[in-house]
Amino acid sequence: MTTPVIDVKDLVVDYGTGSKKHRAVHGITFDVQPGETVGFIGANGAGKSTTMKALMGFVFPTSGEVSMFGNRCGTVESRKRIGYLPEVALYYPFMKARELLELYGGLQGLRSAYLKERIPRLLEKVGLGGKDESLLKSFSKGMQQRLGIAQAIIAEPEALIFDELSSGLDPVGRHDLRSVLMELKAEGRTIFFSSHELTEVETLCDRVVMIHKGRIVTSATVAELMKPLNVFEIVFQLPAGATMPETAARFNPEQDGNHWRIRIENVEAYSQAISQLAQSGATIHNTSSKSRSLEEYFIDLVKNS
Amino acid sequence: MNAQWLIARSVLIEAVRRREIYALVLVSTLLIGAVMTVDFFKLEGLNKFYREVALQIMSAATALTVIVLAARQLPREFETRTIYPLLAKPISRFTFLNGKLLGVMLAAGFCFALFMGIYLVGVKYIGGDIPAVLFLQYVYLQMLKMLILATMSFWLSMLMNLDAAITIGVIFFATASVMMNAFTFIYPEADPLGKWLIVALNWLLPQLDVLDLTEKAVHAGPGGWQPLSIGMMGMLTGYALVYTAIFHGLAFLTFRRRAL
Repeated sequence: MTTPVIDVKDLVVDYGTGSKKHRAVHGITFDVQPGETVGFIGANGAGKSTTMKALMGFVFPTSGEVSMFGNRCGTVESRKRIGYLPEVALYYPFMKARELLELYGGLQGLRSAYLKERIPRLLEKVGLGGKDESLLKSFSKGMQQRLGIAQAIIAEPEALIFDELSSGLDPVGRHDLRSVLMELKAEGRTIFFSSHELTEVETLCDRVVMIHKGRIVTSATVAELMKPLNVFEIVFQLPAGATMPETAARFNPEQDGNHWRIRIENVEAYSQAISQLAQSGATIHNTSSKSRSLEEYFIDLVKNS
Repeated sequence: MNAQWLIARSVLIEAVRRREIYALVLVSTLLIGAVMTVDFFKLEGLNKFYREVALQIMSAATALTVIVLAARQLPREFETRTIYPLLAKPISRFTFLNGKLLGVMLAAGFCFALFMGIYLVGVKYIGGDIPAVLFLQYVYLQMLKMLILATMSFWLSMLMNLDAAITIGVIFFATASVMMNAFTFIYPEADPLGKWLIVALNWLLPQLDVLDLTEKAVHAGPGGWQPLSIGMMGMLTGYALVYTAIFHGLAFLTFRRRAL
């Protein structure tokens, strides 16, 4: 059995003490296997960043176990094969881009000669080509985020953890970032990221872990999640005096003049409803199917919980 | 490259590029220049007075730089969140703290070196001898004093907000000498509890005055002060390192379990 890259078991994180104690994460369990790209989504305050911080050893679990590559999180060993991009980070404004990357690369154990060659290529890759000698105080938020990505991947880590992936990036930046991530994914690297951009999650991820109010509400592959997201709509007219067929009645028909409209989220029930409506002599005016996006699914999930 | 050196280098780059040190050196030099315009009734020996004042101003300015620089290192990292990508790298919090301390000390060394350069040029201009050994001992003990102040400021910045840490650090530096003299003065008159308290404070607070050779460095010479013995220098080094270890240890213990 392969060791998961990320292994979270019954993680509980509390902030504060006594009457000010607040539980941010309520015993969550999930893992990320080697080579997987997993999206971690949740509303603001759901516990995403706290979980990410527990992974990096920035906050300490109240209980539970968190490990990366089999090493307890917070240890130096656990961070050796990881690249991390924090949710919001500014970089030393008094430094040049090259100096900053030399600092982070050096801390990762990379040699100066290697960094001299790697840094210009890396800056090119994240869209900051030629900015080696620019002071970071002249960098916009988006440029800082790009630089953050560069520092995260400088040592070509086996796994990447990105907190709020595309935060601060403009559409071009997001597009560029997606290309970089696709490349990293194609190279077989493990990627675990949180994002509010659910279309990004849909596009990039093999699996999605949803967290809400500190609890995991869904952990499934994108294909599994998208399966029940199809909605079928039937618009029909019943003959005078006919009763509503049983299957159609189950889906809260809405009346609009002489017409009825039902929405069904299950393909079997949809076929059954069509067949019963046909038997009852109903006139079917229109049928359509619509795929709900992950975003709509997530919004419903949050609103209904 | 060594992780501590890399972190120290970033502190030094900040200190050198932010221009605060240059401003402080300039203001201090102007202040010393202003003092030198005073010619007390054409008294002889004013040269030594000027040199003593210059060294005291330079020492105070360096101490101020160290206190501010050390106290703001960690709070600034938390505030701007620059600490996250740093501690996400495979380095321990102890390494990080050591790197920060080394950086502050390098910056202190840079600042003090600028001052000493100005001092040596000044002495050449106004005349007077520089007792080489005693002067080097003075510089060495000043740096030990700065080490104590730096570790103390790191620890204070972990316990309270930045402004409070700087204020307390500066007050301690400014009043340390007066406080210790006052203790010596009132000790014989104190009741047993008071005496116990004075002795406790005497050991609890580092006595920065014992590391100050300003007067000796100025008044050295034939018939005057001679360099300290190796044994005495060793004891003073030990004294400074004990307080440094205590403050640095306390800073680390506070920082070690701090949620970021």
